[in-house]
Amino acid sequence: MDASSLDIAVAAPSVFGTRFDSPLTVGVREARLLNDSPWARTLGSLVPTVRVEGWKFPTPVGDAPSVPATPPGGAQIPDVPTTFLQKLAARKARPMPSPDNVVFKDRLLYLLQPPLENLFVGKQVSVPFPPYPYQLEGMAFLMPRRSALLADEMGLGKTMQTILSTRLLMQSGMLRRVLLVCPKPLVFNWCRELKCWAPDMPIEIIAGNTASRRAAWTVSNAPFKIVNYEVLTRDYDLINDEAVRFDLVILDEAQRIKNRDSKTAQSACALRRDRSWALTGTPIENKPEDLINLFAFVDDGRVPAETPTKQLSSLTADCILRRTKDDVLSDLPAKTVTDAHLEMTAAQREAYEMAEQDGVVHLKELGDTVSVQHVFELVMRLKQICNFDPKTGESCKLERLMIDVAEAAESGRKALIFSQWVEPLERLAAELSEFGPMQYHGRIPQRERTGILDRFRDDKSKHVLLMSYGTGSVGLNLQFANYVFLFDRWWNPAIEDQAINRAHRIGQKEPVFVTRFITQDTIENRIAEILDRKRQLFDELISQNGPPPRLGLSEEEIFGLFSIPHRQRKAAA
Amino acid sequence: MTHTPAPGLGFLTVLSDGGSHLGGYLITNPWGRPLEFRLSSAVQPNKVQQILYGPTLGVYLSADLIGKTLVEKASTTVSLIITDSRDVLEVRRVLEIPVVWVAPTAHPEASRLAAEGFAVRDAGPTRGPVLVHPEYPDDVPACADMFQRIGSLDLMEPFVRVREAIAEARKMGVTQRAAG
Repeated sequence: MDASSLDIAVAAPSVFGTRFDSPLTVGVREARLLNDSPWARTLGSLVPTVRVEGWKFPTPVGDAPSVPATPPGGAQIPDVPTTFLQKLAARKARPMPSPDNVVFKDRLLYLLQPPLENLFVGKQVSVPFPPYPYQLEGMAFLMPRRSALLADEMGLGKTMQTILSTRLLMQSGMLRRVLLVCPKPLVFNWCRELKCWAPDMPIEIIAGNTASRRAAWTVSNAPFKIVNYEVLTRDYDLINDEAVRFDLVILDEAQRIKNRDSKTAQSACALRRDRSWALTGTPIENKPEDLINLFAFVDDGRVPAETPTKQLSSLTADCILRRTKDDVLSDLPAKTVTDAHLEMTAAQREAYEMAEQDGVVHLKELGDTVSVQHVFELVMRLKQICNFDPKTGESCKLERLMIDVAEAAESGRKALIFSQWVEPLERLAAELSEFGPMQYHGRIPQRERTGILDRFRDDKSKHVLLMSYGTGSVGLNLQFANYVFLFDRWWNPAIEDQAINRAHRIGQKEPVFVTRFITQDTIENRIAEILDRKRQLFDELISQNGPPPRLGLSEEEIFGLFSIPHRQRKAAA
Repeated sequence: MTHTPAPGLGFLTVLSDGGSHLGGYLITNPWGRPLEFRLSSAVQPNKVQQILYGPTLGVYLSADLIGKTLVEKASTTVSLIITDSRDVLEVRRVLEIPVVWVAPTAHPEASRLAAEGFAVRDAGPTRGPVLVHPEYPDDVPACADMFQRIGSLDLMEPFVRVREAIAEARKMGVTQRAAG
């Protein structure tokens, strides 16, 4: 017996000393004597020994519940019943090691993560409302993966799942530098979603002149940076700097890189990174090569350029998660309303500001003769600029709408688009021609209207119905549409509700996704805030007692949009 | 108002399989996020050891040998150790840290100890009471205070993770390395 075993054997009685009447003394010498006899076999160690191995993990950031998250402005937060929370807690979605985690410590780190439900239900991670179970499963898919393609159908919350996954990984110390690349019209929306779902995560937008962009790429320590595809492509030389490196790069609307030889694709693939996540509802827009080219970013080398189509599935299955609304039907609420806050194009902004300045000056010149009608006229003019720039025809809403409608059409879904004017609808009809748009508004003769609705329902190539609030918001049954876009907002949310209810009504078998377009820092934004406050008040106070007498804007509120005192209206009256 | 740091928690278990014993120790922050994990080699007592230790062998292996070693080797300190094993509860005798045992439902000794006032949490629908070691009654108020701070954490859930981690370690041959 060696000395170390002897030491431990002798130490044993002290451990047991309190449990025996007389101390236990192990007869080591006697045991050795037995070994000396030719007929005896060795006894082995008298005291068991143990060895341990250990792994330390990055310290999670913040021991206390984080900054309370606030709901996205104006969005209707689904009511979350207690039974739902119980169901959520029972699901136990956990990030499990993925096949690309090959180091034991990496696998261990994911195996030892708590169920995601615990973090949200227990309020350890503050969120405006708990994610749905399928969204937790999406996060459990993303978090351990270095290479991932989240291809959920539009409206299922790819943005939210990505933000929360990133937030949790950052809190766990597993991510420090993240870059998001997205289309320009979506930058502002991402900022809002980030503020909502990760209020404690500092963000920086890479923009401005070359010097500021260079500083943002190479010097800034912001943990979450956002860049649009155009700037990324322009900064191809800057991103080749050795200092530009990310723990995670996320491509939103990743179908933008489906052409492997494009400068956009080359710039995205040139980014130095440890993890690559791609988000798109349409991973294959036209041909299987689209997917192969996406994988040049997601996991270069996994899918060779000449891979036969039938092998694609087996090569990519580990990295792709796609759910359709049908898949998650039981998790979803009947209706999801999202506000898309958009930043106007430069031309729109210039036209808008000029019109507003001139308009306000004109209102003030009117003095006591100013009437609500005068203010209305200005509001209308500004709202029309929010839709399209009168000179160039540019429209941030159109850019966003094109992306969303393409995704809906790709999934074989149908969409209703509402505007208060016919002109924008006719313009949209031209722009959306590839999606078989049909029009239903005051300029369509009455005798043709029924036929239009029938054709929209039955013709699979018709994905879009363009409607005016006045004509299309009442009395129609359009349950076969699952998407509703409010291209501009009506004065009264009750009218908007009627429009939304064309799709969201008895007979609708699937969830309905409503997107309300709002241009940021404009009259639309101001009106939306007033209407949201009113709706909230209504919901909180009088929802039990029938509809309120007035959900729209009062004259005082209309004057208030331009800080014009109400007394002037009285004088005019 | 001063902010009291929330306690780190240690989840300690020893699994027995075919006569061998293997321990896992997961240290988490109060929200259950992992900070450190320790794994023991598998200990298989030989015949002589079985004879020498007799009926105390299980407690000795679980508490004095594996449990104590795992806790002492860890570099992250904890305020409370939680175990799902009665034998491991005995580790309290050799450590200066409060230890609680999340007892199974309808366990006779657990029911008796709970009746005698050693429960920090009463039994729930899917688990028995949470008990301190009967020789350390002062642990009851101390642990109750800690439980108040950690809220409604499911005390059994982390053991699922520990068992999965042990299974993964076995699959990848890490337990042999720990033994080597």
